[in-house]
Amino acid sequence: MPQRIEITLTENLVDAEGEALRHKAKNYFDIDIDTVRTIQIVTIDADLADAQVETARSEIFTNPVTQVSDLTPLAVDFDWIIWIGFRPGVRDNPGATAVEAVEDLLRVKLAPGQAIYTSRRYCLKGATITRQDAEKIAGEILANDIIQQWAVYDRSQWDPGTGIGFVIPKVILDHTPEVTTLAIDSDATLARLSDERSLSLNPSDIPTIRAYFLDPVVQRQRQAVSLGDPTDVELEYISQGRSDHCNHNTFGGRFYYRDLSTGESETIESLFKTYIEAPTLALQKKKPWVVSVLWDNAGVGRFDDDNCYTITGETHNSPSNMEAYGGAITGIVGIYRDPMGTGKGSRLIMGSYGYCVGPRDYAGDLKPKLHPKRLLDGVIEGVRDGGNKSGIPTPFGQVMFHPGYLGKCLVFVTALGIMPATVDGAPSDRKTIYPGDLAIMCGGRVGKDGIHGVTASSATFSANTPAGHVQIGDPYTQKKMHDFLLEARDEGLIRFITDNGGGGLSSSVGESARFSGGCEIQLEKVPLKYDGLDQWEIWVSESQERMTVAIDPRHLDRFMALSRLHAVESTVIGTYTDSGKIHITYNGVTCAYVDLDLLTSAFPKWEFEAVWQPPERRGLSEPVLGTPIDMAGLILDLLARPNICSKAWVTRQYDHEVQGSSVIKPLVGAGQDIPTDAAVIRPVLASQCGLVFSQALIPMYSAIDAYHMTTCTIDEAVRRAIAVGGDPGHLGGVDNFCWPNIQYDPKTNPDGRHKAAQLVRACKALERMCLAYGIPLLSGKDSMYVDGHLPGRYGETHKVSALETLQFSVTGVIDDVRQCITLDSKVAGDRVWIVGMTRDELGGSEYYDHLGKIGVNVPTVDPEAFAEVYRRMADAIRQGLLASCHGVYRGGLAVHLGLVAMAGELGMTVDLAKVPAGDALRSDTLLFSESAGRFIVTVAPDNQDAFAALFAGRPAACVGEVTQAPELAITGTDGKNLATLSVDAMKAAWKRPFGDLI
Amino acid sequence: MSVKPNVLVLTGFGLNCDHETAYAFELAGAVANRVHINTLIGGDVRLDDFQILVFGGGFSWGDDHGAGVIQALRLKTNLGDRLLAFVAADKLVMGICNGFQTLVNLGLLPGIDGDYTCRSVALTNNDCGNFRDQWVHLAVNPDSPCIFTRGIETLDLPVRHGEGKFYADDKTIQTLSAGNQIALRYALPDGRVADGTFPHNPNGSLMDIAGICDPSGRVFGLMPHPEAYNHVTNHPAWTRRLEMDKRRGTVPPTTVGEGIRVFENAVAYFSG
Repeated sequence: MPQRIEITLTENLVDAEGEALRHKAKNYFDIDIDTVRTIQIVTIDADLADAQVETARSEIFTNPVTQVSDLTPLAVDFDWIIWIGFRPGVRDNPGATAVEAVEDLLRVKLAPGQAIYTSRRYCLKGATITRQDAEKIAGEILANDIIQQWAVYDRSQWDPGTGIGFVIPKVILDHTPEVTTLAIDSDATLARLSDERSLSLNPSDIPTIRAYFLDPVVQRQRQAVSLGDPTDVELEYISQGRSDHCNHNTFGGRFYYRDLSTGESETIESLFKTYIEAPTLALQKKKPWVVSVLWDNAGVGRFDDDNCYTITGETHNSPSNMEAYGGAITGIVGIYRDPMGTGKGSRLIMGSYGYCVGPRDYAGDLKPKLHPKRLLDGVIEGVRDGGNKSGIPTPFGQVMFHPGYLGKCLVFVTALGIMPATVDGAPSDRKTIYPGDLAIMCGGRVGKDGIHGVTASSATFSANTPAGHVQIGDPYTQKKMHDFLLEARDEGLIRFITDNGGGGLSSSVGESARFSGGCEIQLEKVPLKYDGLDQWEIWVSESQERMTVAIDPRHLDRFMALSRLHAVESTVIGTYTDSGKIHITYNGVTCAYVDLDLLTSAFPKWEFEAVWQPPERRGLSEPVLGTPIDMAGLILDLLARPNICSKAWVTRQYDHEVQGSSVIKPLVGAGQDIPTDAAVIRPVLASQCGLVFSQALIPMYSAIDAYHMTTCTIDEAVRRAIAVGGDPGHLGGVDNFCWPNIQYDPKTNPDGRHKAAQLVRACKALERMCLAYGIPLLSGKDSMYVDGHLPGRYGETHKVSALETLQFSVTGVIDDVRQCITLDSKVAGDRVWIVGMTRDELGGSEYYDHLGKIGVNVPTVDPEAFAEVYRRMADAIRQGLLASCHGVYRGGLAVHLGLVAMAGELGMTVDLAKVPAGDALRSDTLLFSESAGRFIVTVAPDNQDAFAALFAGRPAACVGEVTQAPELAITGTDGKNLATLSVDAMKAAWKRPFGDLI
Repeated sequence: MSVKPNVLVLTGFGLNCDHETAYAFELAGAVANRVHINTLIGGDVRLDDFQILVFGGGFSWGDDHGAGVIQALRLKTNLGDRLLAFVAADKLVMGICNGFQTLVNLGLLPGIDGDYTCRSVALTNNDCGNFRDQWVHLAVNPDSPCIFTRGIETLDLPVRHGEGKFYADDKTIQTLSAGNQIALRYALPDGRVADGTFPHNPNGSLMDIAGICDPSGRVFGLMPHPEAYNHVTNHPAWTRRLEMDKRRGTVPPTTVGEGIRVFENAVAYFSG
């Protein structure tokens, strides 16, 4: 008989969770609630005596100072009750820790199948709340029906004795695992079976797959292990290995690129090899600090003589789009496993985020699965819990709003780690496996999570069907594993380590087996969350918080002892061999026997047609606008635009101080409220060395040309790093491409050839910039298919494609963190300089967008000239000549002069006539152009001459002075006052849009 | 005693500030050891060999059933008497953030009338309803017996928590106040107490309480993180201060952050 404990805060305490719900209901749906009281419910499905449950209630689940609880439903007053619980198979983190606590306190061990489940009920008071309101709150704020179930009760429906009853979301599969063979008598048969079983085999791969299994040599070898036609385990393995996610078929594909304006055409055999691998290898030869690139889970750069840093970034778009919190927490916790699985393993030192979503106040006709407001809240919370609970600082992040992301949001997550330069006397970045080494799975258990991604989301649910395809990251389990693996590394126990991400074991074991030349895996040894998984499901499940480790068998006892000490589950699941085969058995029967080199053999390349029409030929032109008269009003309105305004509410939810390494924080200035250009951390506490980190995201320019979007994005990321003191001689890059579908189809993707051309151009720009700025690409990932089909007002669907988006990250090493500077003006009387040329480049600008225009004069980058300026700027910072330094980004000079003044809480005079400019430009062009390559710096009068000498012959000019009176006073090109804005007024405008959020 | 005190910093089960906490104690002149909770429970490392025990920050057991609750339970169940003996042996115990939450759930704080098993105060959800990272100004109670805050008047430190609101009934608060057990309070930039104003008091703590000690001053818990101010560049205003120093022609005396003073006080207790 299950038992249940209900817990709530004493009446006199503020119910912060309830208050948050009350605010959201008002904020999202204009529903007025008087009060909300939250009740936590712990349902124990185990054979415990009443006295034992009573002990658990009082000792574990009730704080005597703040809470009351009971084994029967608590009598809390309500007009409506909403109950929210998990669906079967969804990771219930509090339920799992409750089991640990109960077992420890009562000295018992729960039997297999017994568990503790947590859920919540909310008691709402409010005379005007209707059933419809309550259901809206339940279904659209509190619960996501993919992972949660909910119920709404009014007074008449609520039985105070029974409460919610006993809901046990236990997975019962009632299925005997079996291996199925698939007929391959023809391509058509295999294609049909692939469809029926959701194998997603690529049609062009099918002949290659058949040819392999029909090869007489292969057939003879298979007969020896009693196999004939391919099994589902084998085809799932091939399907995973050949997926775009694992294999990057797009970036490895062949592009036929034509430029319609020049008539020129070319064939590019591989974007990756041509534009990413080649320049990075060339740069690696010139830059000894580049330790390891292009093969491991993350790139490795030298930090100092004793340490290396590791970095990688990726996206978790589709899952977050369906279940924002779960997708995002799984994304951040997942990316943290990449540095853990790089080299012999690194300790995590920071993470960052980038969110691209639809407008937060979207009120149009399209109906995305989650409204952008709710989606963004969920994503913010997911990455927050994933990062904070992992004890990893999140000192940098960006939020971007654009209607193109209504179809699918983007959730960028980036992770950095650090590892000793040598482990056990050998370079830490190198690792290999020897035949006879043991294959060990560490961390979480395997369930139906993530099998076939989100394709299963349309399946119907029964009471005990696992909602398995959605994953919920568990930072607690992973943190324990992280601590354990680092200790094992330092004891020299780890030969090889890699993470289990996309593709699960099939990918981690399949790829690591290449180092020894084969493996034998006994699938029945893999620990499962619940019985009844088919063999192929165990092999490809993407259940989280798992690493695959290879160890020398001599180290097994010590490895397992350490694992037990850290309360981490580790299991030997097989042995690495040099047989050339992936050999998988289940209870002694072979279910897969595949040549290791099959996946790297001659599968056909994907092919894309890419056709470029320059923006003028696509009908874009500059708008015809007269000069605005109310310049002050315009600047204030720009400051309040969603992509410019303060998002401190997001920043402050992220722990950016943990590990004690913070140097340049996400929010800086006198009021600690202005976003920094870049973050700096001091990951080795005993060292003065710093790691600078910045990211940029300017997808709006893709509306004109993704080539310039790319150059400007990379330039911005670099300039951000330079602005805080980064070294132009050490710039590492991470490219994260998010692109809509580029495969042309006359009906479903009529502009596919344009999007493909944009990708080719972006890659050309990437190569150009990396070579000019000297940026090896330490890591990178691509995510294609950023498209959605959204229902409209009449039930019709609309395809919504995102802007072609590149997030670019830059890292650098700084010798002494005390040389770093911040963007806030510091002292009245300092000179204000603008470095870099302002041009007539308003195309795609925030200013044009504010007026409903796009234009065509997109900012362009002259990388060699800019690089020289950046070297001088770095010199100026190293010599201590600057009081502040800030790059000019989105919104142009007006916005960024405003930010410097706001950050310093000092005023500033600026004479636009003195701004270095290409031609005689209008005041609005000078103020709002987003030309790349520019900085605003403030210089003490004593340093003025030295600074001027350093920039002699470069586009740089003193344009004004920092003033004590906190006002930004701008003089127009005609010598007359153009606008005077107080710091208070600017801050008020800039903070207004999201100022009430905490 | 010229020997450096031995510090035990707990690790494992989701704790996460162990590296910088150990570093802070080393900077302050102690010998710091990071020890897994299970190692201590298993007896491979003996509490008796240490002078200072630190419950650090983090999310022990994910904070799933109240911050610090399961950690406190685990230690009480497995180490209860040894912890009490440690306190009785004139040694120091410190709890930072999650560690403070653990100390109050263990009952080692507030230790009123020498009862180190009673849960009489709590750290509950922030009034702002969310996890929050910010720097706070702190005012030190000069009359407090607290060993860790000796000689400090004000201090800036970061807070980063979702459950930091100090709560107790009126009578307990009165007792804490009368006994000068309220060692640290959230303050305004000018040093006056915050009087509940957000964000200076970031969580709605009663009496602006940021940290308390037991009546002996040897057991200390606080929500802010002194170990995260181990270097001058941790302070949010450091670039502004450095620029002013440069203009005045003065050279900053040290790179050590002011948070380390808290740890130095603990070390000095055994050497002075």
